[in-house]
Amino acid sequence: MKIPDPVVAVRGLTKSYGGRIVVDHLDLDVHAGEVVGLIGANGAGKTTAVECVQGLRRPESGTIEVLGLDPVRDAARLRPLVGSQLQSSGLPDRLRVGEAVELFSGRRAKDADLLLERFGLGHRRRYAFGTMSGGERQRLFLVLALLNQPRLVILDELTQGLDPSARREVWSAVSQLREAGTTVLLVTHELDEAEALCERVVAMRAGRVLDAGTPAELVARHASWATVRFALPSGRPDEALAALRRLPGVSDVTRHGDQVVVHGARAVIAHTGAWLVTRGRVPDDLRVEVPDLETALLALLDASTHDLTGAA
Amino acid sequence: MSTDTRTHTQTPTSTSTHDATPAVGVRTRRHRSATRRLVAAELRLLGRDPMTLTFVLVFPVVTMLIIGGSFGTTPDEAFPVNPSHWYVASYLTVVIGATGLIMLPVHIASYRERGVLRRFAASGFPRWSFALAQLVVGLVAIAVAGALLLAVAAPVYGVPAVEDPVRAAGGLVAGSVAFVSLGVLLGTLLPSARAAQAIGLLLFFPSFLLGVGGPPPAVMSPALRSLSDWLPLAMANEAVRQPWLGLGNATGTLAVVAGLAVAATALAARRTAL
Repeated sequence: MKIPDPVVAVRGLTKSYGGRIVVDHLDLDVHAGEVVGLIGANGAGKTTAVECVQGLRRPESGTIEVLGLDPVRDAARLRPLVGSQLQSSGLPDRLRVGEAVELFSGRRAKDADLLLERFGLGHRRRYAFGTMSGGERQRLFLVLALLNQPRLVILDELTQGLDPSARREVWSAVSQLREAGTTVLLVTHELDEAEALCERVVAMRAGRVLDAGTPAELVARHASWATVRFALPSGRPDEALAALRRLPGVSDVTRHGDQVVVHGARAVIAHTGAWLVTRGRVPDDLRVEVPDLETALLALLDASTHDLTGAA
Repeated sequence: MSTDTRTHTQTPTSTSTHDATPAVGVRTRRHRSATRRLVAAELRLLGRDPMTLTFVLVFPVVTMLIIGGSFGTTPDEAFPVNPSHWYVASYLTVVIGATGLIMLPVHIASYRERGVLRRFAASGFPRWSFALAQLVVGLVAIAVAGALLLAVAAPVYGVPAVEDPVRAAGGLVAGSVAFVSLGVLLGTLLPSARAAQAIGLLLFFPSFLLGVGGPPPAVMSPALRSLSDWLPLAMANEAVRQPWLGLGNATGTLAVVAGLAVAATALAARRTAL
């Protein structure tokens, strides 16, 4: 089957519950082979948006095409092509792992044994779902989502409630999907997860897209600062601090004991390093702090709050 | 705003290049349809459900043994036939009621509560497969529990001869379908398994005591007797017991129960569409 591109095309999607707009004119494209993350705080409308993409909810307005099909009208044709790991969904407690795999194996199912082994469940085939740990359940959901060779995989809060070790296991599995070229739409409010797994992220708030791009692009746009810390080598500190303040991009230089903190645009990392090297003052303890996606999203949310307040 | 910020080339997924081969556990079998797989899984789970074992298999047998021996074996003013046979014939409907008013509502409400139905829907199970699976599961539960009830009754009280087998079978089928569908419907309407259990017990026990397995109508007050006449489970019981024991053909009652079966099945199928 030729895979349409974009795999997911959403235009003007709007959905509300009881008069409260949850998704507000959302546009979203997910291209073949891409891992896209929908990020945002709880209540941003991420899950509702993907439920509309899956055809589990009917949009009020807007259009959605998934693999060239309408998720509601063409549900019977589309759903077998989409592997879903849903938020807040389970299996019967007494259903065993092997039985679950058998139950969810459609005509296209393959490599079930391999998948169970790959996700560390090969020895759990006879275990009932109700006796499994949270991590094992999530890994089983991932097996079920991948079982039928899906063209698109939708993962909603994949690592919610998992311990760090289990999270890393699941991340590793998603990385393998990315390397295999599988198209993945990932919903998460764990921003380290989005940063580690997604090629592109879409930041949402109150049902709207605030910004989109690679994690690095979002960080560069909304949290483009850097901080460099080091112990000032012996010499004349006041002159050194004044020189540092004159470097391009530096917005602030402070001193705490023998520690100097240089803060400013990303360029201060290179300029400070160069300044230290050219003066033969290479410190052993130089540390560089750059914001991550979480800091960028918080800045973005903060800015959007000010926009809303200003507009009001 | 479109969130697409890159130019992409189409990349086929790695999985799309493989030939499909059967999944685990189905290696040696022909691939079964989603509906058949769902029915098989549900039947397997039925046997592991303590609620089913207790209420559908054990409760009717135990109560039938107790009450079936409480009124002797001689017909009198209260019982137009051997009282033991009266209760043996009635307790098939207890099985139907326990399945439809307790087992299925709790089962389905727990599925909804835990998001199992959403998982089935998202996984591409056919629209009516869950409704069909529950109908099969309910009818199988009734058949197994009914057979067990008669098997236990036979050596103790004897199983009365079926005077009008066609009508009795019609009543049994219509009553079973009606209550299985009502059970499915209740399961989709009630918010949680606990709520389903509470409401199910509340619906089941008055129907059981007044209309099926409790005291005979002749000893009830006129008000209670009138009430019991209108209880759906009592009607299902009449549609089975009357033709079975040769006490009447219960055509009108059978028609009402059949109508209830059709309406409840249509509503249940609509509510459980994936």
